Amino acid sequence: MEKFNPKLHLPILVFGLAAPFVVPGLTIQVAVLWVMVLFALTWDVMGGQMGYNSLGNIFFFGAGMYICAIVQIAFITDVGAYTASNGGVRITFTHQEYFMGLICGIIAAAIGSALIAAALGWTVFGLRGPYFAIGTLGIALAAGELMGTWEWVGGGGGISMPVYPGSADGKAYLFYFLCFAAAVGTYLFCSWLYSTRFGLAINAIRDDEQKAEAMGVHTLRYKTIAWAVSAFFLGISGALFGNITGFIEPLEVAFPTVTFGIFMVAMSLLGGKGTLWGPVLGAFLFHFLKEFTWTYFLGWQWVALGVLIIVNVVFFQQGIMGWLMEKFPEKFGIVVEKKEAAE
Amino acid sequence: MNTTRLLTAVSASLAIAGLVMSGPAQAKVEGDTIILGSAISFTGKYSTNGIHAKNGYELGVMKINEMGGVKVGGKTYKLKVQYYDDESTPLRTAQLLERLVNQDGVKYFLGPYSSATTKAAAPIMEKYKVPMIEAEGASRSLFNKGYKYLFAVLSTSEQYLASSISLAAEIAEKNGKKASDIKVAMAFENDPFSLDVRAGVLEDAKKYGMKVVIDDKMPRDLNDISSTLTKVKALKPDLLVLSGHSKGAATGARQIKEMKINVPMIAMTHCEAAKITSKFGASTDDFLCPTQWAETLSYKDKYFGTAADYDKLFKKTFEGYKNVPYQSAQATAAVLVWKEAFEKADSFDTTKVRDAISSIEMETFYGGIKFSPAGNNIAKPMVLRQIQNGQYNVVAPSKWASHPVNWPRTAK
Repeated sequence: MEKFNPKLHLPILVFGLAAPFVVPGLTIQVAVLWVMVLFALTWDVMGGQMGYNSLGNIFFFGAGMYICAIVQIAFITDVGAYTASNGGVRITFTHQEYFMGLICGIIAAAIGSALIAAALGWTVFGLRGPYFAIGTLGIALAAGELMGTWEWVGGGGGISMPVYPGSADGKAYLFYFLCFAAAVGTYLFCSWLYSTRFGLAINAIRDDEQKAEAMGVHTLRYKTIAWAVSAFFLGISGALFGNITGFIEPLEVAFPTVTFGIFMVAMSLLGGKGTLWGPVLGAFLFHFLKEFTWTYFLGWQWVALGVLIIVNVVFFQQGIMGWLMEKFPEKFGIVVEKKEAAE
Repeated sequence: MNTTRLLTAVSASLAIAGLVMSGPAQAKVEGDTIILGSAISFTGKYSTNGIHAKNGYELGVMKINEMGGVKVGGKTYKLKVQYYDDESTPLRTAQLLERLVNQDGVKYFLGPYSSATTKAAAPIMEKYKVPMIEAEGASRSLFNKGYKYLFAVLSTSEQYLASSISLAAEIAEKNGKKASDIKVAMAFENDPFSLDVRAGVLEDAKKYGMKVVIDDKMPRDLNDISSTLTKVKALKPDLLVLSGHSKGAATGARQIKEMKINVPMIAMTHCEAAKITSKFGASTDDFLCPTQWAETLSYKDKYFGTAADYDKLFKKTFEGYKNVPYQSAQATAAVLVWKEAFEKADSFDTTKVRDAISSIEMETFYGGIKFSPAGNNIAKPMVLRQIQNGQYNVVAPSKWASHPVNWPRTAK
């Protein structure tokens, strides 16, 4: 596991803790930044470290969002009555009801998503390469459509989330710090995970799955656990995001396959997949560029993002971290045998 | 460790850039300008209507500024709208409105386009206690949550196509048939607005004991409803009802033409906004289209004159409109309500302005405006128009009808 490094970790920690007080106007954008960091890190567990490119990880974001919402509402009232399309019941949540519901909801979202991943793992891990990517994409797309027909959770009409009982600032701070904590937690967990035997095993699967299997690595078990780890943290992010957005709807909010679902891949590729810091760096740059173009080049934001992805994929396939490692290997502790190279 | 230094430098510079970008929060009233905020769809599946609504806002702002602006506390102010693109997804709405409130300091809002995005907007307005006058979110579920800062100038969505059901019943009885013999086929987009339209249609169909033979949901991209239409060919319903915003209307009209669907009565929402008469010509004749507003109605006000005058001015100002979509008219009406509310409150205090809005009673070119305690407008009816030789003529309710309804419709 990476040791605490004051030069590297401290500025980020200070930025994370101070942001909502220094730049209160940007609280939500920075909170979304932490969600993006979490997205990129969790995608990289599979895509970068294990070599399984999932296009459907966003499914667990939506699953977490719905599980949390259902728990929050079921705490107080009947979900079907709350979400009824012709109006539904109106409820004011007290502090205790709201926070108990939220805490239980987040826990249920994390565990529930991980369990779903474990269950799905048995079926999709029979697929390799592009078939795995398309298979997982199918799961995310199908989930949106299925939730859209499930009347009990509001169908396409969605769910209006419980209104936060406290002040506006209180809500912003609460969800900001929850998002920050979730991102830091994901980072620490990944950092620890990659330093264990587990990290080596999933790297072996990436490099040559048949060989790993022949060496006695129980590949299916490792793959399933890796996916469940991604799903666990994605479930938390979904639970938080649903509450920040205030309104859940299956196609656009819970399972945004073509936006967040693609962003998580793009961010990992931009920063450098298969590294611990690559996804974090990618998320920072990507989110910054997106917010910047959104503000100053309205109407061109998608063009700018498209250009970024094309440049990234065509010229820097290994991402920023990969490019740096190639350019300055000695700074990453990689020893190049000069003599050998000269011969 | 040079890597860490590099990463530190990158993160530090990003943080600094973020600080610079955020800038000082602007005031809600800058000098002699009142800033209204709106996050609306310029891209994505609702972009057609998002732009219609934006044009409506702009025309309202232009007219009020031309006529001297808004008088508050003895001083005159101009209006200006600050926009962001929500990309037709509620996912962005909350973030953009937070930005408008916190970074841009905006305290007065115009709505987004669609019920789904408005549903995401309402909790933000409640959170910050800032009022929003919206013109494009019609779902009833917006008005039973007890929101105090959300006001809508339009009629709610269950009223959109319910009148087509009573019209079908009326015609059946005139022809010696029973209303309960009518077979209804319907297809709706799976979103809060269309589901509420569906709820209204179902309630009325049930009242007459009609048989619903097809009850489909449109696919998410609204690009193909041929599977529903194939069933329509087989089951021969007496009434076909469609609702899926502009894109759903355009797809419906296109495929009804391509597949030569012959149903005696077809009703769909968003005909004008999707410009179906100019796109699909005579094949759209005899379609029934509900509208919040029509230029032939006898409404008028001191800003635009009559509904017909508004229609003329709009066509002159914005190119490419054969018919003015009601989405634009109601957006303009929302701006008029803002002006009246500021002047009535004679203050920029959000609570006072909110109270002023809730007590407003006014006549506009768009119809009467008076808000119920829930925030919806209860002073204006929906009307049903039929496309007759490429013209939209009001056929129901009878109080406003200018032409008799053509029935049955034959495929062209």
